[in-house]
Amino acid sequence: MVSISLYMGCLFSQGFFVIVFAVYFPPRQDAKEPIGVCPVSNVLEVENLNVEFNMDGKYYHAVRDVSFYIEPGEVLGLVGESGCGKSVTSLALVRLLTKTARISGSVRYNGRDLLTLSDSQMRQIRGDEISMIFQEPMTSLNPVYKIGSQISETLLLHRNISAREAFAQSVEMLKKVGIPRPDDIMDEYPHQLSGGMRQRIMIAIAMACNPQLLIADEPTTALDVTIQAQILELMKGIGSEFGTSTLLITHDLGVVAEMCNRVAVMYAGEVVEQGKVDDIFYNPQHPYTRGLLNAIPKIDAESKSRLQPIEGNVPSITRMPRACRFAPRCVHVMDRCKVEPPPLFETDDEHVARCWLNEVKEA
Amino acid sequence: MIGYTIRRILQAIPTLLGVTVISFFLMHIVPGNPVRILLGNRYTPERAALLSKQLGLNKPVWVQYFVWLGNILHGNFGYSYVYNKPVVSLILQALPHTLIIVVVAVMLAHIFAVFLGSVQAYFENSPFDQIVTVINYFFYAMPAFWLGILLIIFFAIDIPLFPSGGITNPTVTHPSFGDFAIHLVLPVVTLMLISVAGWARFMRSSMREALLQDYVRTARMKGAREFRIIFVHALRNSILPLITLLGLSLPGLLAGALFVEEIFNYPGMGLLYWNALNDRDFPILLAVTVFLGIVTVIGNLLADLIYSLVDPRIQYR
Ligand SMILES: Nc1ncnc2c1ncn2[C@@H]1O[C@H](COP(=O)(O)OP(=O)(O)OP(=O)(O)O)[C@@H](O)[C@H]1O
Ligand code: SF4
Ligand SMILES: [Mg+2]
Repeated sequence: MVSISLYMGCLFSQGFFVIVFAVYFPPRQDAKEPIGVCPVSNVLEVENLNVEFNMDGKYYHAVRDVSFYIEPGEVLGLVGESGCGKSVTSLALVRLLTKTARISGSVRYNGRDLLTLSDSQMRQIRGDEISMIFQEPMTSLNPVYKIGSQISETLLLHRNISAREAFAQSVEMLKKVGIPRPDDIMDEYPHQLSGGMRQRIMIAIAMACNPQLLIADEPTTALDVTIQAQILELMKGIGSEFGTSTLLITHDLGVVAEMCNRVAVMYAGEVVEQGKVDDIFYNPQHPYTRGLLNAIPKIDAESKSRLQPIEGNVPSITRMPRACRFAPRCVHVMDRCKVEPPPLFETDDEHVARCWLNEVKEA
Repeated sequence: MIGYTIRRILQAIPTLLGVTVISFFLMHIVPGNPVRILLGNRYTPERAALLSKQLGLNKPVWVQYFVWLGNILHGNFGYSYVYNKPVVSLILQALPHTLIIVVVAVMLAHIFAVFLGSVQAYFENSPFDQIVTVINYFFYAMPAFWLGILLIIFFAIDIPLFPSGGITNPTVTHPSFGDFAIHLVLPVVTLMLISVAGWARFMRSSMREALLQDYVRTARMKGAREFRIIFVHALRNSILPLITLLGLSLPGLLAGALFVEEIFNYPGMGLLYWNALNDRDFPILLAVTVFLGIVTVIGNLLADLIYSLVDPRIQYR
């Protein structure tokens, strides 16, 4: 008896919070703010994005002066080795970094600067207009809630619809992302599904509200090769069906070649080269990009090991080279590279590279 | 799950037997002879020998143990030496009183602990977190009887808001519900305060960990409010270890109730046990011990079963 009551108490208190929650925080019903119609403008324009982390009272730059844009319906690739700041950049765009991060610059989404919005305005955009898929499919779903409720949650947060309707739409989403037996899966828990299935669920969650912009942070890195191909295929199909613009983060140039229109190459927190995929692949201007390209496995395409193409490692954010950040690993390094940080040089139409070697050509 | 439950109950039997052996022999080692206490100043060696024989205390201890064990297996817990009533009826009389203070205290403690711990974790290292931590340690370190006495001094004597003990006002023949309730306040608060502290600390670390998980980031990505993130997404996960802790802290809680009842002169199992201990009333002591053992076993079992209900990843076979 005592113990039964003890556990009733335990459950009761959880129920208590849920009730308080339901009473004080009903699902939001207010309509979206109208967005200025501007047909030719870019969906996203990032300008001089800087992210610094506070570590023991000092700020260290993890992302420095990053600028790029994404056109409607376009897939922009963001590539670079592990630790070069891809995830930090993507999380900064939607303001999901920890409180120790200091962000500056501007992130204009359809003309509105996301960095100046209030928290509640930002919440309305997240999940509805901008969605994200993460690098870790195994842990990104909540283990104690059913798949069905995790998908409908996004809909219920942003759409003024009944739970039943949200459920029905969630089943439709599951069909779209190629989940077999969608009705059964709605009732299952994440631990019952494989990594590939979970990433499909994450895609379903991200696409549930038909966002304009999808940020996919290494969506296939944690999956094995055959599943990777399936997920990329799925993203391609869904992206063009919904007309979504995508920022696709990856360290795999093969994925870029298959998926992207343009690509930004990142190194040590900076964009070092940016341009159309063909230009980057056939006419790379930055020594780092060339290094990455040389390291693409040509014969054994099955190898899924992370690319370690160039001698040395990405510097940690506490120990950045002062001028060109690639200098310690660069085969073309000159004296100047160690004292003067190179700016972005325009090398072609829509093609820029951050390397002193391009100055001569420009002149 | 039924198979699992039966297996757990069977596994508990040796433990319970062990508990009875230890408490039985401990009782006979402790100085103080029940016969002497019962006879008081009517004591003579002849009367003592006769009473010993009547109570079966003249046989070797291990014989006494098996006689007693045989009796309880037949559902016979014997008669109290002092009250001369069946032990079972004494326990049934005391049990509801203990149940009500323990249940109310645990429920309140749980609500406070979950709420405080969650908010502390969310505002980690804020002044709020630090102040609550200090207060928590204060109550955590404080023994139940000491806290009870302080509360009596402050809230029954200095500011006479609540009665200092008993279950009803002795001068009233037909006590009202309100009278019962007001007598519950101080014992419940004492028991609650000493349990809240530990659980809140536990909840804080559990919630802290949950808030760092990837699924919390996913919830933020969906556009959920912070309140929903804490109390829907993280809470359900961070409360899981608390369920196990609750099962494990059951004996401690009952021991706490023992002191609290003694201080507030509250006629539950605790007071029954205290008085029996002073009187060396062996049948009551043994019966209460067995009872507590059973409650603990059931508590832990229930904790595990409830865990499996709340956490879909756990499945018992
Ligand atoms: N919260 C944080 N506090 C301090 N430093 C951080 C934090 N998050 C990331 N960093 C640092 O920022 C740098 C960039 O990390 P980031 O996670 O963006 O790399 P990445 O390009 O996504 O790599 P990967 O391919 O492994 O995902 C790393 O040096 C990392 O140590
Ligand atoms: S600036 Fe100098 S060091 Fe940097 S990439 Fe160009 S050549 Fe290499
Ligand atoms: Mg990353």
